[in-house]
Amino acid sequence: MEVRREIEVEASPEEVFEALATEEGRERWLDEPDRQIHVESLDPPERLVWWWGGADEPATRVDFRIVALPAGTRVVVTESMPSFPLAGLSARFELVAA
Amino acid sequence: MSDQIGAVFAALSDPTRRTVVQSLLQEGSTSVPALTATLPISRQAVAKHLAALEDASLLERMPQTGREVRYRLRGDALAPATAWLKDAESAWEGRLGRLKRAVEKDPQP
Repeated sequence: MEVRREIEVEASPEEVFEALATEEGRERWLDEPDRQIHVESLDPPERLVWWWGGADEPATRVDFRIVALPAGTRVVVTESMPSFPLAGLSARFELVAA
Repeated sequence: MSDQIGAVFAALSDPTRRTVVQSLLQEGSTSVPALTATLPISRQAVAKHLAALEDASLLERMPQTGREVRYRLRGDALAPATAWLKDAESAWEGRLGRLKRAVEKDPQP
């Protein structure tokens, strides 16, 4: 189960990576102090993966891909809840519900 | 909402309970004796797993016809998951917008 969103920004991949990977960088745009971030992997300036979750929420995995464009940068984020077997559930759910 | 999705997630984090849900997707309904016959666990353990799935609102008891209590998946079992997807989508819409403004307005030296 996952969601995917992307945006293009007028900044370099390094600037975007900095804003995602450092606490000082995140303070400029991410205001969610109740969520704890645990970084899984850093691959500057192309990729960053972290896990996070609040006190009463299941942990989710957030995967950022940072793609250099001729002018600017594309940021693609995928947030997933890997243990939620939604694909398997929903595939045949219609049969049961009917 | 997060409590509900948390309960669903916790219920499905157990491999035996995922097997139960999987078999319900195939069979439509099940019972403690039916599951005890197919799973390598005790009758009591089966009853516990079914109770956990019922608590998470994934299962419900069917209207009783005989002596046996039968269970089926609830029609709205996936509602918390759908709600999570919607919330996560709009949250990232907002966060990426703020990220864009942050890096464009205030570039690093």
